[in-house]
Amino acid sequence: MKLDPKIPAGPLAEKWTNHKENMALVSPNNKRKFTILVVGTGLAGASAAASLAELGYNVHTFSILDSARRAHSIAAQGGINAAKNYQNDGDSVYRLFYDTIKGGDYRSREANVYRLAEVSNAIIDQAVAQGVPFGREYGGLLDNRSFGGAQVSRTFYSRGQTGQQLLLGAYQAMMKEVHSGKIKDHQRQEMLDLVLVDGVARGIITRDLVSGEIQKWYGDAVVLCTGGYGNVFYLSTNAKNCNVTAAWRCHKRGAAFANPCFVQIHPTCIPVSGDYQSKLTLMSESLRNDGRVWVPRKKGDKRSPNDIPEEERYYFLEERYPSFGNLVPRDVASRNAKLVTDEGLGVGETGLAVYLDFRDAIKRDGESVIRAKYGNLFDMYLNITDENPYELPMKIFPAVHYTMGGLWVDYNLMSNVPGLFVAGEANFSDHGANRLGASALMQGLSDGYFIIPYTVGDYLAGAKLPKVDTEHEAFSEAAEASKGQLDKLLAVKGKKTIIEFHRELGKILWDKVGITRSKEGLEEAIDEIRALRDQFWKDVRVPGDANYYNKYLEFANRLADYFELAELMALDAIDREESCGSHLRDEFQTEEGEAIRNDKEFAFVSAWEYLGVNGKLETKLHKESLIFEFVEMKQRSYK
Amino acid sequence: MPSLIEALMSQVGRKILTGVTGVLLVFFIIFHLLGNLAIFGEPDAMNAYSHFLHQLGPLLWIARIGLLLFFVVHAWIGISIWLNKRKARPQDYKVYSTKGGPSRQGLSSKSMVFTGFVLLIFVVFHVNTFALGDMNTVVVNGVEMHDIKTLVLDTFQSPFYAFGYTFVMLLLGAHLGHGIWSAFTSLTVSSKKVSAAIYTIGVVISVILAIGFLFIPLYIYFGGGCEAALIQCN
Amino acid sequence: MSEMTIHLKIWRQKTNKDAGHFEDYTLPDVNEHMSFLEMLDVLNENLMKEGKDPVEFDHDCREGICGSCNMVINGRAHGPKLKTAACQLHMRTYNDGDTIVIEPPRAAAFPIIKDLVVDRSAFDRIIQAGGYVSVKTGAAPEANLIPVEQDTSNDSFDYATCIGCGACVAACPNSSASLFTGAKLSHLNRLPQGNPERAKRTVAMVQQMEEEGFGDCSNYAECEAVCPVGISISAIAEMRREYVKALF
Repeated sequence: MKLDPKIPAGPLAEKWTNHKENMALVSPNNKRKFTILVVGTGLAGASAAASLAELGYNVHTFSILDSARRAHSIAAQGGINAAKNYQNDGDSVYRLFYDTIKGGDYRSREANVYRLAEVSNAIIDQAVAQGVPFGREYGGLLDNRSFGGAQVSRTFYSRGQTGQQLLLGAYQAMMKEVHSGKIKDHQRQEMLDLVLVDGVARGIITRDLVSGEIQKWYGDAVVLCTGGYGNVFYLSTNAKNCNVTAAWRCHKRGAAFANPCFVQIHPTCIPVSGDYQSKLTLMSESLRNDGRVWVPRKKGDKRSPNDIPEEERYYFLEERYPSFGNLVPRDVASRNAKLVTDEGLGVGETGLAVYLDFRDAIKRDGESVIRAKYGNLFDMYLNITDENPYELPMKIFPAVHYTMGGLWVDYNLMSNVPGLFVAGEANFSDHGANRLGASALMQGLSDGYFIIPYTVGDYLAGAKLPKVDTEHEAFSEAAEASKGQLDKLLAVKGKKTIIEFHRELGKILWDKVGITRSKEGLEEAIDEIRALRDQFWKDVRVPGDANYYNKYLEFANRLADYFELAELMALDAIDREESCGSHLRDEFQTEEGEAIRNDKEFAFVSAWEYLGVNGKLETKLHKESLIFEFVEMKQRSYK
Repeated sequence: MPSLIEALMSQVGRKILTGVTGVLLVFFIIFHLLGNLAIFGEPDAMNAYSHFLHQLGPLLWIARIGLLLFFVVHAWIGISIWLNKRKARPQDYKVYSTKGGPSRQGLSSKSMVFTGFVLLIFVVFHVNTFALGDMNTVVVNGVEMHDIKTLVLDTFQSPFYAFGYTFVMLLLGAHLGHGIWSAFTSLTVSSKKVSAAIYTIGVVISVILAIGFLFIPLYIYFGGGCEAALIQCN
Repeated sequence: MSEMTIHLKIWRQKTNKDAGHFEDYTLPDVNEHMSFLEMLDVLNENLMKEGKDPVEFDHDCREGICGSCNMVINGRAHGPKLKTAACQLHMRTYNDGDTIVIEPPRAAAFPIIKDLVVDRSAFDRIIQAGGYVSVKTGAAPEANLIPVEQDTSNDSFDYATCIGCGACVAACPNSSASLFTGAKLSHLNRLPQGNPERAKRTVAMVQQMEEEGFGDCSNYAECEAVCPVGISISAIAEMRREYVKALF
C-alpha cells in the first residue's frame, strides 16, 4: 500500500489556489456522461451532491434514513467557525489554521488544515445566500460568539440549532437538484459494499431497507460521506443510526483506516441515568462560557450543591488552568472530569458527574440574560433530568461525541483506492488528535461545497475508466458477499440480543479505550473484544428475516463491523506510545497529569491496512509522516 | 403561474373563498339582526323596514342572488373539504384527542360541517316561513304592505318554532365561534402576535350574534310584543 | 426511583400490503427516568428474547431535532406534552398501571412501511418543488452584504426550526400538510435572499402539497399544538397571503 498525501508544493497560503488552477477540467458536455455515487447525505454528502449536480454530473445519493434532512449533522448545536474577523478582534485565516492545528495537537496535515481555514469564509457566504438564519446583531449584520477555547469570536450560530440550519441549507440545495433531475435520491438504502474493478472504485452494493432487496449501482466515482464511528461505544451523543459500516466495508476492500484511536469525548453531556440508557445527550459547549465546573472538595459530600460553601468547592478547571479556566479544549476538560471522579469527588447518584454551575452568571447578568442565551438548553436539561438548572447546578459528564479518525485520504480527499473519495467526519483529514468546537460543521461543508467538486472533477478528467455496468462479475461477487453476511447473522439464532452485545462492547471500550488508556488495559481490551466477537457470531439473536424492514438486522450487521473496528482502535492506541489530543496514555503524562507528546517518533498518521479477521484482526500499519514546514510544534498549554 | 380558476380551486383558493363568503355572510347576519331589532321599535317599524327592502326592486334581487351564491359556495366548499378528509386519511385512529394548548379543536371547530348543514336546511325553512309564507297586508301611513310583524309574532307562539329557532341560533353561534377566527386565518389576516386576540374577538362576536337572534323568538314566545300585535298570547 | 407497570396497545403491520392490527403488551418494570423510546427498546428486547418480531419505529437522534420519531400516543402526535417530540418524552409523565395506545401517523400521503414506520417522502417532494433559494455553490456574495433586520431573521429562524416530523399531518383532522409547507415558505419568503423566487416557490409548493394527497386546512391549529418546536399556525396564514400575492 502506498500512501501519497499529494500535498501541492509552494507556500502554505497558495497551495490550494495553485492546485485548483492546475487541475484538469471536465468539459460541460462530458460532465453529463459521468455518474457519481454519493453515500450519506449529511452536511458533507448533501453539499457535495448538490454542488456536483450543479456542475452537471449525474449524481445518485444514498441515505439510510428516510430523508437527507435527518442526517446527524442536524444535531450540532453550537456553531460554525470562519475567519471573517467581523469582530475586529484580530482573527485571520492563519489564526484559524493555527488554532485548529494546535488544537489537533499537531497530528494533522498543515496543508489540509490551512485549506479548511481558507474556505471557511466562503461557507458562511454560501449559507447566508441560501437563507440560513444565522444570529444577527441589531444592525442586521452577522453576530459571532466565542466558542470552545478560542480567544477570538469567530463562531457563527443559529441559536442552539446551527447544525440543523446548515444541514437544511445543504438539503434544500440538494432537493433543488433532485427536482432538476440531476440527483436521484435513494432513501432508506444502506451501502453494504464497495465494488472495485481493476482496483478502482466503480460502484456500490446497497440494501433497500424497506424491501430488503440487495441492489447494485455503478458509478465513475464514489464519494463516501457516512459520518463517524462514535457509536462503537454504544453510548455516545451520536444518533442511533450512525454507523461505520460503509466506511468499514471500504476498509475491507483496501482503503486505509487512519488514526482510529482518536475519539473525541465531549465534556458536557447529561450523565447516564440507568442501564436502559440508549444514548447520551450533549449540552452545548457554549454553556462553559458562563457555567463554572466544580466538584465538592470533600469526598462523598452528599449535601445539596447549593449548601456547599464557596471555599469547599473545587473549581478544578479554573484552578488548574488559570488562563483558559472553564474554556479549555474538550479533551482537557473531559480528562479532568475523569480525574476528579476517579479521585472519588464525583457527584450524583452514580458519582460519575461534575457540576456545571450557573449561579454566579445568573447573579451577575440576571436570569433573563442567561435564559436568552441558553433557554432551550436549560429546558432540554430540565425535561431529561427533571431538575431545574436555574436553581440547581447541572450535572454533566463526558461522553463520546466525534471521531477524528476515519478513512485515510490524500489532499484531494481521495482514499488510497482510486475513485473512492471520503468527506466529512468519515475521513481523518483535518482535526488531528482533537477537534475544536464549531469546526465539524466547517469541515463537512468545506469538503462538500468547496473541495470535492474540484477534486472529483480533476480525477474524472484524468482517469481512464473502462465502461462498466452492474453486469460485471465484481458486482455480483460483492452482492453475494453482502447477502451472505446477512444470512449468516440470521442463521445464528442464539440467545443474546444485539443490544446486549453492543452494550458490552461499548463498556470494554469506554473503560479501556476511552478518556485515558494504558498498555495493559488496551491489551486486556483486545482479548475481551475478540472473545466477545466470537461469542457474538455464536450466540446473537437477530429477529425476523432479510426481506422486509428489519431495523435490528441493520443493527446486527453494523455491530459486526464495530467488533472489528473496536479491535483496530485498541491496536492503534497501543501502537501510539505518546499522549496527544484525545489520546491520553497513562504511561505518557507528567506528574500533574498533562499529556506528553512525542513528536520525534509519533508525528505521523497511522494508516491501517485490513488483511482479514481470523480469530484476531489481521492488519498492517502504514505511516504517513507529518511534516511541519510552517508552524513550530509546541507543547499545548492552557495553563 | 396558475390561472385564476386553478388558483381558486387550490387548497388555498378554496379556503379563501370560504373565508370571503363566510365574512360576507356574517355581514349579512349582522345586518339581518339589526333589521330584526325593529321589532322592538315603533309598532310599524318592522313592516316599514320590510317594505323599504322590497322597494329596492332589482337591488334586492341582486342581494338575494348574491347571498344565495355565497351560501352555496360556502357550503359546497365546506362539504368538499369534509369529503376530502376521508380521502386524506382512509383509516382513522383508534384513539384520538386534541393536545390542548394553542389548539382550536373543540366542539365548535369539529362540528362545522354539522352546524353548517343544519344552518343550510334552516335557511330553506326560514325563507319558506318568512319570505314566501302567507302574509296579510296592512296599511301604514296610507301605504299597503306585507304584515311581516304579525307573521313573526304568530309564528313564535309555537314552541316548535320558538325553541327550534333558539336551538339553531345556538348552532349558529357555535359555527361562528370557530368560523370568524378561521376566516381571519384563511384571509391571511393573522400573525403570531394577534392570533389569540382574533380568536377571542371572534368568540365575542358570535356570542353577541347568537344571543341577539335567539332573544327574539324567546321574547315573543314568553309574551313580549303581544299587546302591539293584538293577538292571542301564551 | 420508582418502577411502574405499563400496558401497551401497539399497531402492528408487517408490510404496506398486509392488514394491520393492535397487539397488547405489558411491561412490568418501567423506570420513570426512561425516555418513551427507551421503554419501547425494553419492550423490543423482551420480544426478541421471546423469539417475536420487535416493534419497528423510526428514531435516530433521540434529542428532538432529527424529526424521525413521530408516533401517535394515546391519540396525540408525540404524546401529551406540548413542544416535546416523542423521543424527549419521559415515562415519568405516566402513572403505574396506565394503558398507552401507540399508532403510526395515519395519512394517505404517509403510507405505512411497517408497524409505526411510515414513508414521509412526500415532504421531500414539497421541498423539491421550491423550498430553497437557488444559489449555486460559489455564487454567493460576501455574507454581510445582505443585512437582515434582527427581528426578521429571528422570525425566519422560528419557522426554519421545523424538524419535518409530520406530527402536524398526523394530528390534523384533515391530514393537512399546510403547517409544514407554510413553515418553509415563512422561513424563506421573508428573507431578502428568498425574495426573488417567492411567488414561484409559494405556488409550486402549495401545488405539490395538494398533489401529494394531503387534506385541506380548516384552521384547527391542532398542528401548532402538536408541533415539537411550536411553529405557529400564522405560517399558514402567511402561506395564503403569499399565494394571493403571487397571483398578482
